[in-house]
Amino acid sequence: MKKLNILLLLLLIIFSLISLFPIYWTIITALKVNSEIFTTVPIFFPVKITLSNFYTPGQTFGAVSQTAFGSFPWLLNSAVIALLSALIGTFLIGAPAAYALTRYLKNVWLGRTVLLMMMIPEAALIIPFYIIIIKVNLINTWWGLTLVYLSFTAPLSTWLLMGFFSDLPRSVEEAASIDGLSAYKIFYKIAMPMIMPGIMVSIILNFINSWNEFLYALVLTYTPFPTGAQTVPLFLSDFIVIEKSFAWGGLAAAGVIVIIPTIIIGIYAQKYLVKGWTMGAVKE
Amino acid sequence: MSEVVIENLTKKFGNNLVLDHINLKIDSREFFVLLGPSGSGKSTLLRLIAGLEDITDGSIYIGGKKVNGVQPKDRDVAMVFQNYALYPHFSVYDNIALPLKVRGFSKDKIAQRVKEISGILHIEELLEKKPRQLSGGQQQRVALARALVRNPSIFLLDEPLSNLDAKLRVEARTFLKSLQKELGVTTIFVTHDQSEAMAMATKIAVLNRGTIKQVADPYELYMKPSDTFTAGFVGSPAMNMVPGKIVKDGNAWKFAAADMALDLKGMKFDSEAEVIMGVRPEHVVISTEGITGIISTVEPLGSVTYLEVKIGGTDIMVQYTGLARIEPNSQVKIGFALDRLLFYDKDTEKLLNK
Amino acid sequence: MNRKQATKIGLILASPLLIYFLIFFIYPIFLLFRYAFTNTAGSFSLSNFVYMSKDPILYSSLYNTLYYFIGSVAVQFSGGFLAAIVLNSYTGRLKNTFRMILYIPLTISPIVIALIWLLIFNPTYGPIDYILRTPINWLGSLNLAMPTIIVANGWEYIPFVFLIIYAGLQAVPKQYYEAASIDGMNRLQTFRYITMPSITPILVVAFLLNSIGILQGFTLVYVLTNGGPGFSTYILSFYIYKVAFAYFNLHYAAALSLLFIFIIGAFVYAMLKLTSVERYLGLKRENAGDE
Ligand SMILES: Nc1ncnc2c1ncn2[C@@H]1O[C@H](COP(=O)(O)OP(=O)(O)O)[C@@H](O)[C@H]1O
Ligand SMILES: [Mg+2]
Repeated sequence: MKKLNILLLLLLIIFSLISLFPIYWTIITALKVNSEIFTTVPIFFPVKITLSNFYTPGQTFGAVSQTAFGSFPWLLNSAVIALLSALIGTFLIGAPAAYALTRYLKNVWLGRTVLLMMMIPEAALIIPFYIIIIKVNLINTWWGLTLVYLSFTAPLSTWLLMGFFSDLPRSVEEAASIDGLSAYKIFYKIAMPMIMPGIMVSIILNFINSWNEFLYALVLTYTPFPTGAQTVPLFLSDFIVIEKSFAWGGLAAAGVIVIIPTIIIGIYAQKYLVKGWTMGAVKE
Repeated sequence: MSEVVIENLTKKFGNNLVLDHINLKIDSREFFVLLGPSGSGKSTLLRLIAGLEDITDGSIYIGGKKVNGVQPKDRDVAMVFQNYALYPHFSVYDNIALPLKVRGFSKDKIAQRVKEISGILHIEELLEKKPRQLSGGQQQRVALARALVRNPSIFLLDEPLSNLDAKLRVEARTFLKSLQKELGVTTIFVTHDQSEAMAMATKIAVLNRGTIKQVADPYELYMKPSDTFTAGFVGSPAMNMVPGKIVKDGNAWKFAAADMALDLKGMKFDSEAEVIMGVRPEHVVISTEGITGIISTVEPLGSVTYLEVKIGGTDIMVQYTGLARIEPNSQVKIGFALDRLLFYDKDTEKLLNK
Repeated sequence: MNRKQATKIGLILASPLLIYFLIFFIYPIFLLFRYAFTNTAGSFSLSNFVYMSKDPILYSSLYNTLYYFIGSVAVQFSGGFLAAIVLNSYTGRLKNTFRMILYIPLTISPIVIALIWLLIFNPTYGPIDYILRTPINWLGSLNLAMPTIIVANGWEYIPFVFLIIYAGLQAVPKQYYEAASIDGMNRLQTFRYITMPSITPILVVAFLLNSIGILQGFTLVYVLTNGGPGFSTYILSFYIYKVAFAYFNLHYAAALSLLFIFIIGAFVYAMLKLTSVERYLGLKRENAGDE
């Protein structure tokens, strides 16, 4: 018994190393000086720590820059668009639709439609989205990308919140209807506040998915703030294309900047995230 | 003014007939209990009165007005749910105030009403708390307060005591009964617990499989259950049921069963019939003469002792008043209080000797 | 409230979703059909589908997609399953901490995954090649490029499978195991007769969700190999992107998109028909309830 547990612990440590090493490597690369990056014998524990890959005075981002500083305009776009699509997807579309589907429109096909919306891959819709966004003149704008991001945030919110609403005891809503609240008031004054954890799950997952999205941003945006809506993954991909063989420190620093928000959420919102990721698959 | 009349009410869920042509009249100020086993349709009937379910067929009148299709909020009914259904994110005060707020009462008026009702229910010191900080009994009082705060003309309760522990439950019975009397509100109370029904009701309707078996006051329900279902369901321990025959012997009527025969002096029947005889344990007496049996179990409860007496293949439960040291397997003689015997037709299951 | 009122309220509440669905799903699919069945001059034509039937790049993309799909499922399920079993069997403190460490890759943007693996798989300066003591051109070699992408992608999505299976294992009631031990089952029998049947629904759902995620793959190919070397890492999503935005043939790309949707549709349909996944997802209830 004891022996087995020690073996398991050993395995867990190995798994943890596999999970964390690539992140560790990126972080130390971001903190290394160039002479410690390009060594044929890799340095696993750097001694000379520097922040110059993040910021060196006089360098801004562009072909000549080798630091991550200057990603701010892209970060701003990412933050705005991820927040917009997370909040709109949750409050304006997902929550009312989920409530309608669990309480008023009990039709298997509506549920299936939501599932279908979640399952069509981005690449299969990028062409019509491109055509539509050009047509309505929203290319390279916050609203253009937000509208398109709703194609994954809205169905995911609906799906998640359906699970939360259907777990609510009906009697509280019935009490409210006897107490005199209208159906809409019951929805936003009674039912919505009761699934606050679900709302959190929905916002957090939507935010992470939007923050990390790549293909739509690649096609539908092309300049950073203030002239356009290009998001930070695009900053990174352009940076990779330009600096693939040179400014590894700057690249890694940019990578660190991109993952910081989502990793922080990953650590602090553990409860909500795990619930969101495993929902539907595991019913308690 | 606030009586409830139910006419030919039928409710189906899909093809599942849950209520079958229900007719009831509930008078103003009555404490009316719907009693029946689980699944008999009590909650459904209550929810139809509240307007939470759609009527399949028939009509409901509240205060003389037909309310088919009227929204719950416009029926002037209030309801207390089994799990209380308090709004978890509101304070106790806001829970009680909400029904008034949505009806456009002024802030002062609301504060005054909430204060009044929380005084009646002794929950003044809980007003700032959230429902989850309350004990079961406290939650129940808050649910009552929320229901009563707007002086509803009909007060509906669906097994509101079943989530309380035994001691609280008995206290709540007394409290609820006097509260209802004080407020004079027409009350419909659903329960599967016959002792609860007996203790509280001014009138009881017994429901089984979606049909009304009997409507009567507690006394009559206990003394003259109109059919075998009610006879067996009401009373604890249950009424003894002995199948047999009513036969005419010259001018006298007799009851003849496999293990016993009784002279039914002074009773009259229309004809000979296959029957089931019902007799409550307290109407069977241990005596020096009568039918001989063997005591198989003894259950001393203190004020009474229950004895199970085996007569041939028939078991008869006997209630003996007081505490007695009786040994199992001893032989006794029992007699029946003849004027308390009930005879039910074997086929129709209806009471013959009304 | 009668049926009609309820439907009306439901439709009003669901209207934002329904409107969005019309504009951003129905209309796009209509657009796909319109583009796919017309030529660049705008007149009706089946040329895109004729071309499709003899397009060698499409065939190798389909082959690569299948390779990538099967490889990814194999890697992610074996990895996720193993990690879940190990963590579930481990009896010690820090279980939640280990769970968090193991799922962290799931929060990371695919673009950063690409970057990380560029750094780590670099033949000259990367730590992997150093540990293996031979410089290997991972992404530049015909045989290794796709497996490398599968592994990099696996690193991100093994945690997803892990989390779901782990949650499923945790949800198996303890009494089952107690009963099994009283019945005298050994470890293997317990796994076979208690654990596996209990988590089968979860495995099926995990497979469905995971498959959809795998087929979403695009970023790693775009950044790490750009489809190469040759066409060896062209997968369908990447090929659609190329046709549309590098060769600017929206019509053929639309035809390819329809093919992609059709394939996914067939896959999901098969899943629904062959498994009880709809019931597991809560879409279908045992008793369908009201009228
Ligand atoms: N919403 C519903 N859909 C389908 N059947 C229902 C529904 N509500 C109740 N029933 C059925 O109606 C019958 C009576 O239920 P109910 O009124 O809750 O009984 P009681 O309250 O007496 O226990 C039961 O068989 C139950 O399964
Ligand atoms: Mg009930």
